[in-house]
Amino acid sequence: MDSSHPATIMSERVSFSTEEQLSELFGSYKAEWLKERLFDYFTTPDYLPELMTSRPCVLVGGRGTGKTTVLRGLSYEGQFALSGSKADKIRESRFYGLYLRVNTNRVMAFTGPEVEHSTWVKLFGHYVNLLLCDLVLKFLDWYKIYTNADFDLDWSLCRDISNSLQIDSSDSILELSTHLNSARLKFEAYINNVADGNRPPISMQGAPIDALFDAIGQASEFAGKTFFFLVDEYENFEDYQQQVLNTLVKHAGNNYTFKIGVRELGWRVRSTLNANEQLISPADYVRINIVEKLQGDTFKRFASSVCNARLARLDVPGLAVIRSIEEALPGMSEEEEAVVLGVNELATEIKSGVAHVLAPNVLHVVNQLTPLQLWVLRFWADSQKVSIEDVLVDYAASPESWAERFNNYKHASLYRIRRRKRGIRKYYAGFDVFCQLAAGNIRYLIELVDQSLLRHLRDQHPLSAPVTPESQTTAAQNVGKKNLSELEGLSVHGAQLTKLVLGLGRVFQVMAAQPEGHAPEVNQFHLTDDGQQKSSDVPVEVDNLLKAAVMHLALIRFPANKLADEGETRDYDYLIHPVFSAFFVFSYRKKRKMLLSANDLLGLVKSPQEYIPRILAKQHRSNDEELPEQVLLFEAYYGRRSR
Amino acid sequence: MGAVRDEPVLTIETNISAFIPEPGSSYLFGTSVEERSAHSAEWESRAAGVHFIRLTDQQGAFFSVEMMGQQRKVLLRSREQLVQFWKDIPSDVVYFDITGLSHHIWAPLLRVGVSLKPRIIGVYVEPGDYRPSLTPTEGEIFDLSERILGIAPLPGFASLAESTDEDVCFVPLLGFEGTRFAYVMEHVQPPGGKTVPIIGVPGFRIEYPFYTYHGNRAPLTESRAWRNVRFARANCPFSVFYALQDIAATYPRDTLKIAPIGTKPHALGAVLYAMATLKPVELVYDHPIRKATRTAGTSRLLLYQLSALPLAGSRA
Repeated sequence: MDSSHPATIMSERVSFSTEEQLSELFGSYKAEWLKERLFDYFTTPDYLPELMTSRPCVLVGGRGTGKTTVLRGLSYEGQFALSGSKADKIRESRFYGLYLRVNTNRVMAFTGPEVEHSTWVKLFGHYVNLLLCDLVLKFLDWYKIYTNADFDLDWSLCRDISNSLQIDSSDSILELSTHLNSARLKFEAYINNVADGNRPPISMQGAPIDALFDAIGQASEFAGKTFFFLVDEYENFEDYQQQVLNTLVKHAGNNYTFKIGVRELGWRVRSTLNANEQLISPADYVRINIVEKLQGDTFKRFASSVCNARLARLDVPGLAVIRSIEEALPGMSEEEEAVVLGVNELATEIKSGVAHVLAPNVLHVVNQLTPLQLWVLRFWADSQKVSIEDVLVDYAASPESWAERFNNYKHASLYRIRRRKRGIRKYYAGFDVFCQLAAGNIRYLIELVDQSLLRHLRDQHPLSAPVTPESQTTAAQNVGKKNLSELEGLSVHGAQLTKLVLGLGRVFQVMAAQPEGHAPEVNQFHLTDDGQQKSSDVPVEVDNLLKAAVMHLALIRFPANKLADEGETRDYDYLIHPVFSAFFVFSYRKKRKMLLSANDLLGLVKSPQEYIPRILAKQHRSNDEELPEQVLLFEAYYGRRSR
Repeated sequence: MGAVRDEPVLTIETNISAFIPEPGSSYLFGTSVEERSAHSAEWESRAAGVHFIRLTDQQGAFFSVEMMGQQRKVLLRSREQLVQFWKDIPSDVVYFDITGLSHHIWAPLLRVGVSLKPRIIGVYVEPGDYRPSLTPTEGEIFDLSERILGIAPLPGFASLAESTDEDVCFVPLLGFEGTRFAYVMEHVQPPGGKTVPIIGVPGFRIEYPFYTYHGNRAPLTESRAWRNVRFARANCPFSVFYALQDIAATYPRDTLKIAPIGTKPHALGAVLYAMATLKPVELVYDHPIRKATRTAGTSRLLLYQLSALPLAGSRA
């Protein structure tokens, strides 16, 4: 058709605008990118009610698990938006949340050798007082504007607050705000020249906050209301700064509390400024681990709601659109996938190879087998180093005893069907599979959906048709690659994390492609003793590497036994994040582990070309395995050349 | 690309062999691991009557310098010590060579110096070449940084003013290292559509802007910030200064969060802007540790008439 034909133009226009919409709906997967639309897409997670109580809460979750979205949703601006921006709902709210993202660039100003540690503690405590009081005063200002309320805090209480804050005497909310702002500027100038001394008067830790909330508690407007300080990215605080905040959490007044958002392992210090006083769950706070709360079907339900709410907003005039993400992203059973991967040819080869040697009764049983079952039997024969004929005879004698073996090995056997072949070697398709790749991380899930739908559109498929397994797999590979390349920019350990994932990814890829005679689906590791008697003996370098890897989602850790103490490195098993599995081609399922030493881990980072073959040799695997096509761009890193 | 502005040209291009500081002036400099930061004895001998002051040690919180026959340590977060240091420089005209000085050293020095000396002339020597990475990956074409220390304010430029996250415009001054852009962006978390990168055009060399795009491709694409890119001459702080003024005018309600992670002249422009503006601004810097062999040779020498700018902001 002529490209200037009206129908073509229309179709291109529609497709372009659909792609734009998809980008808006699924491409803006970071909370900060959504701006005011954040609340339009808000989906209530199951754990939200636990956060809405008046108890301190610590919300633990990696980057992209939805901490910011939830905490912003609890803020007064968020609650207002979620109520449909109805002013009359403001007064009805049981709580008011004050959102604060910890800004590294600010809190790092309170470090350095110029003053004693104890002075930094006092200075930082004063800064926190200014910061939190400012948040409250801004809220009061907002509240007055939006509710048209004509109230002020008692003037004598305002004076108490200003005295406590060590700012100019103030008689009203407005004066408190003005004087606090000018005190902050003076304090900023002081911090910028902190070595000169001339310290301005500073407030006592927490005292002005208590004074302010005492005054608020006496205002009829806020009788019975609770205020939440929603402190996001707690990991950005220095250790002593966490102690300062911990102290506030521990001793918060009656009408305010803290809801803390932090990455796993980001809450490094649990004590208050009194080293003997620890914050303990559940006595002092409620710990909510997002990934633990959103496991399995719970995450699937949540993810489905998030995606379907966005799909419902797709507006493609005159064209049908699948509105269910489960239907849009169909999966395949292992049997179906094996067929697509080419198992039929292999099964035919096996059959023709044994047809002339097997007894007719055995052959009859063999002919009843599915191609994948036959391939698993071949796999078993290779593993046990026995002939396929012997295995088939054994199977024919007692097929029921093989049921469990089929179940255990059919997934692992998929990885060798297209071994050493070009193109897709294993499919990663289906909403269920995507949920497992995301491992409780809603941002990863949305990225996977976004990339799948975009690829689908770019391949000229309509949104009324489901996305093919090929498109889903390619999207999953791309998302893995993108997140691998992003690791480097996430932290000061970024380069090491990228190398760790490249090393582990290669090891698990080879192990998946050469599964014969080994435990299937290995994608985890546990640190071996290496002669150390306890986990505190793990070299600091390795300990830091593993902690950074967990914090930035290169690895997922889980207790190796139920008695594991949080923070002990060796007592955990580590799973390479499943989001990387499609890129490297290994199993996304949480299955089996191998042992690695601290030296192995460091070697993967520092000398990958030496340590990858060494680790594989210990596992009786050969490093000759070809790299999957999508990994070829790292062949120089692996010291390999294309064949 | 913005229109050509009617602003004074305060950058002069020359080369090392042609450049001789004025007699009676002082020449403040430091040496780094890079060849281009070092002066030859022969060059210094040609600059008769010039008082050379070398910063001998650059630490996180202070620098050391030999003045009046004495070794002195100057704290970077001490206005009093910085003022005394400038007062002890025995000339009204000071050449301030930032080539071999780290950002965290020259920025606080400049903050104090501009109000004390009638004429400060910035000096910068371009590298002859950057060292290519042996195993280049996306975002790492050149082998420039050993590692980064992390986000922390430049001494004297800490800002404690809180802005709401939505009222932020993020302005990364891009270099070749895309991972640094990604890292800073991860910390700033700018709102969608409000990242306005500045790329050095023309670059030190004609092909450098393409390397900049290539190195930063992933974060530029992901954040869609490629749509907002602006350009400023890579070796001219004033071009960046004016570009920042334009961006501030485009986003009048926003705090500018400027990441000076590109060329040193661009970083100088960002610091000058932070000193000059009365609008809310925050410098966000990641403190890289430079690789010893990151550059080779020398190219053009640039002179910047720093005192010609009105630097009346709260940070000056």
